[in-house]
Amino acid sequence: MITKLLYLNWKLFLSKLTTFQTILLIGYSLFLIVMTVNLMGSAVVVIFLDSTAELAVDLPWLTPEIHQLIILVFANVFWILHFSFTSTRLLNMEQNRKLLSFGYPAGKLSWHLNLMALYHPVNMIYNITWLVFLSLQVNSGWNIPILVTAVLLNYGMIFSIKHRFLRMVEKRFRIIVFSFIFIVFGVISLLTIFSRRPESVIGQFAEHFTGFIELFYWLPGGLLLKSASYSHEPLLTTVLFGFLFTLTFLIFRDHYYKTKEGLMKPPAIKLRREAGSLLRFLKKWLGSNAGKYYYYVMTHPYNKLQVFAIALIPLVYIPLLLLVDFGVISTILITTMLAAIPVALLGMVMANLFGYEHREFLLHLQLPVPFERQLKERVLGIIVVPLFIFYAITIFELIYLPQLGSVFSIYIANTFFFVCFMLIFLWSSFYQYQQASYSSFSFKHPVIPQKVTFTMSSAIFILGYTVFVPLGEWHPYRLWVMTGLIGAISIYLWLNFDLLSKAFKNKILNQLWSDY
Amino acid sequence: MERALIIEKLTKAYDKEPVLTELDLEVPTGTIFGLIGPNGAGKSTLIGILTGLLDYNEGSIIINGLSYNSSNEIEIKKDVASVLQPPLLFENFTSHEFITYVCEMYGIASHGLNEKIKSLFDYFEITEFTHVKTKQLSSGSRKKLAFCAAILTEPKLLFLDEPFESVDVISIGRMKNVIRRLKEKGTTIFITSHILEVVENLCDDIAILHKGKILAYLDSATRKELEKNSNLNEIFEQYVESGGRSVESLSWL
Repeated sequence: MITKLLYLNWKLFLSKLTTFQTILLIGYSLFLIVMTVNLMGSAVVVIFLDSTAELAVDLPWLTPEIHQLIILVFANVFWILHFSFTSTRLLNMEQNRKLLSFGYPAGKLSWHLNLMALYHPVNMIYNITWLVFLSLQVNSGWNIPILVTAVLLNYGMIFSIKHRFLRMVEKRFRIIVFSFIFIVFGVISLLTIFSRRPESVIGQFAEHFTGFIELFYWLPGGLLLKSASYSHEPLLTTVLFGFLFTLTFLIFRDHYYKTKEGLMKPPAIKLRREAGSLLRFLKKWLGSNAGKYYYYVMTHPYNKLQVFAIALIPLVYIPLLLLVDFGVISTILITTMLAAIPVALLGMVMANLFGYEHREFLLHLQLPVPFERQLKERVLGIIVVPLFIFYAITIFELIYLPQLGSVFSIYIANTFFFVCFMLIFLWSSFYQYQQASYSSFSFKHPVIPQKVTFTMSSAIFILGYTVFVPLGEWHPYRLWVMTGLIGAISIYLWLNFDLLSKAFKNKILNQLWSDY
Repeated sequence: MERALIIEKLTKAYDKEPVLTELDLEVPTGTIFGLIGPNGAGKSTLIGILTGLLDYNEGSIIINGLSYNSSNEIEIKKDVASVLQPPLLFENFTSHEFITYVCEMYGIASHGLNEKIKSLFDYFEITEFTHVKTKQLSSGSRKKLAFCAAILTEPKLLFLDEPFESVDVISIGRMKNVIRRLKEKGTTIFITSHILEVVENLCDDIAILHKGKILAYLDSATRKELEKNSNLNEIFEQYVESGGRSVESLSWL
């Protein structure tokens, strides 16, 4: 039965893929393979770091304590990565719930869905890497059942925490945001200090390493490491196995019942009365259509996180890059990040131009207002806000960061950056159209798929390097090329702007009608 | 007699698969008109075309005396409202925000609008949802809300696609009362349904649509004559061939 369920979900997943998404999927799969090889390789390198004579000569500071510390740091960082990447999406509750009406027993479905989540490639990669990493460090054969149970328990706990975390984000957004800023800032500052003067830092803290080692052993990665490396004693192993097995059993039992409950009882809708004036405010300043659109964007739960991420990354990195000063690299990174802020905002509001309202466009088509005007008003409103931020950032760069380049260079480069992505987003809104949805319960990824976000981030940095890397005497030519391209893209956008409603009717309307 | 809607030789196909074939239909102004037909007859497609959501391959449509084309489109839409199945709402708006937004788009004066909304909500017992987002409403309340919005735009021609689906019996009675009141004020109401009882008592004229064609147009006089000997159900079955299928063919059941 589970093979049929896997097949069904796989078919469902494939049937929704467009050609472009298939290409993205192939890219993402390659990324996963590279990641697996990297993780496995890093694990092996970290473990056998002190086993060759050459390394002992090259790295004289690598004492057994430091090596132990490196393994512990790796284990804990790996745990953080595992936590961040664990995918809880495969449950696909909304679709799979329908199987209940075809006689799929609820208990069995719940169990199979949880197995399916475990089979997700990303989850498999991390769990297998843990097994390899820990197996290479076992003290005796008796550690193996302990470490296998510990890895399973670890997965179960991460899954459980992530589920609850997602639900918590919605409720306690501000607290989480500020805690996150605090942690990220702290970690990055520490890493920066360390990367500038590693020897002095090592020397200064060498005497405290034992304390660090103790601390890291009590963090999740360290505990997993202990499960593989503790000295076996029959009584201790029996007690540990019993304890871990019971915990694993209880956590998977909890998943089983929670999923079953979720299948049988979809979350009850609690009527909530709204009394906000946000819509009126936006309609007043941006017009009825753009106001409505921004209201949808701003009230979409996931977008709060998007805005937070857009603001946080430059806020953390730019002061650090200015402080550390890596020369040309710093300049490229700072200018790219600053140019990416309005682009990221533009992506948030424009990449899924029709997905927020989806079928509602059918009602907009019935209104006695030219549809073309409705769409144009939306797009203009969408562009105005990121454009305002674009100008604010460009002026900020020109006044406070003159070392980044001349007025003309920065202005042209930023404009080029902005129009390039505007073109991509306009295409994306037609060719990559999909309904924006959000539900922590069903774990559906909202608004823009992870694969697209991943590709976009790469595109931003590739374009950043192309636009901002110093070219010396060739620089004026690049300015001319960019100016020419800005002109060409602007003309193209203007022409397509006029064809917005036609493109909508050709590419989106049929899908809306068939979804209806 | 004036016609609110004249359709001539209307043809619509999806990927060369015909859905409507040279359809002719005329609906008198100020009447309640019912279009009935089995599943897949083409009712929703026809409503989709008439409300501007779908294009068509051939034929002509005249609504309230104006030929349906791009130059008249907005003028026509000003006097047309619709309630589709499932109803279309702005999901992130509250019921009140939704209605005021739609009225704003139709250019309805805001003076006195709140009182009208209040009385309609009260009549259909949805007052408690005034400030609740429409995506939280039950399907019956959604239908009633869409109906309220359509009425408030003061249309001359009102399209109702399966208007009573998911609505409770009391509210159906109240909706029928409102529809009759609208007719008295001169509004033309075009109802589509596959449930014959819905249109039997409410509509003046009825047309039967089957496989993309109008099989019969029964005006009130003809209906009176036919219904002397049989009910609408039997008349419908006469036109829409059942193919001689009987439950006896399911011998295994």
